Amino acid sequence: MPRCEATVSDAQGVRGGRAALPEPVLLALSWLVPGLGHLLLGRRLRAAVFAAVVVAGFVIGLALQGELILPQAGDPLSYLAAIATVGNGILFIVAKLLGLGDGVVTAASYEYGNSFLLTAGMMNLLLVLDVHDIVVGRKE
Amino acid sequence: MLLVVQAALIAVFFAFLWKRDAAERLRYLIKVFAALVLGAVALGWLMFPIPRP
Repeated sequence: MPRCEATVSDAQGVRGGRAALPEPVLLALSWLVPGLGHLLLGRRLRAAVFAAVVVAGFVIGLALQGELILPQAGDPLSYLAAIATVGNGILFIVAKLLGLGDGVVTAASYEYGNSFLLTAGMMNLLLVLDVHDIVVGRKE
Repeated sequence: MLLVVQAALIAVFFAFLWKRDAAERLRYLIKVFAALVLGAVALGWLMFPIPRP
């Protein structure tokens, strides 16, 4: 596995900050909890900012009665939206378990809410890619 | 208002994602925020003549 300045990667795993985890686990954690990947790599400030931004976007989206879109047969675009929705990680799981995110189509803020929810998910997926880039040494 | 909030969130996110230096981050944040808000308003004006279905 490639090496970078801030992290050391080897056949056993990735060591950054206080964590020594295999890269797939690190990426999975990064997806599951927004900002956790950066925190485990020792980027505390960025981790805090990323977590705050993603959580804020997600909460605002729910408050605006947006929908956590899941794949629907006959609607190809719903598959793309579902990728972004699931990209929210644990926020998506918890919201679904609590019965939130069904969306109110008739609400004036419905589409705005969707926009916030999808944006938050896409940002979290970008964070996973960023963690990967840091681990392989493409980025400091 | 919601547009401004979302633009702010996205601008902060990308400023911290792409830039390391604080001053550089601030400049980038302002640029992205302005581009998103002004771009959306400009697009809204351009779409104004298009009739609703």
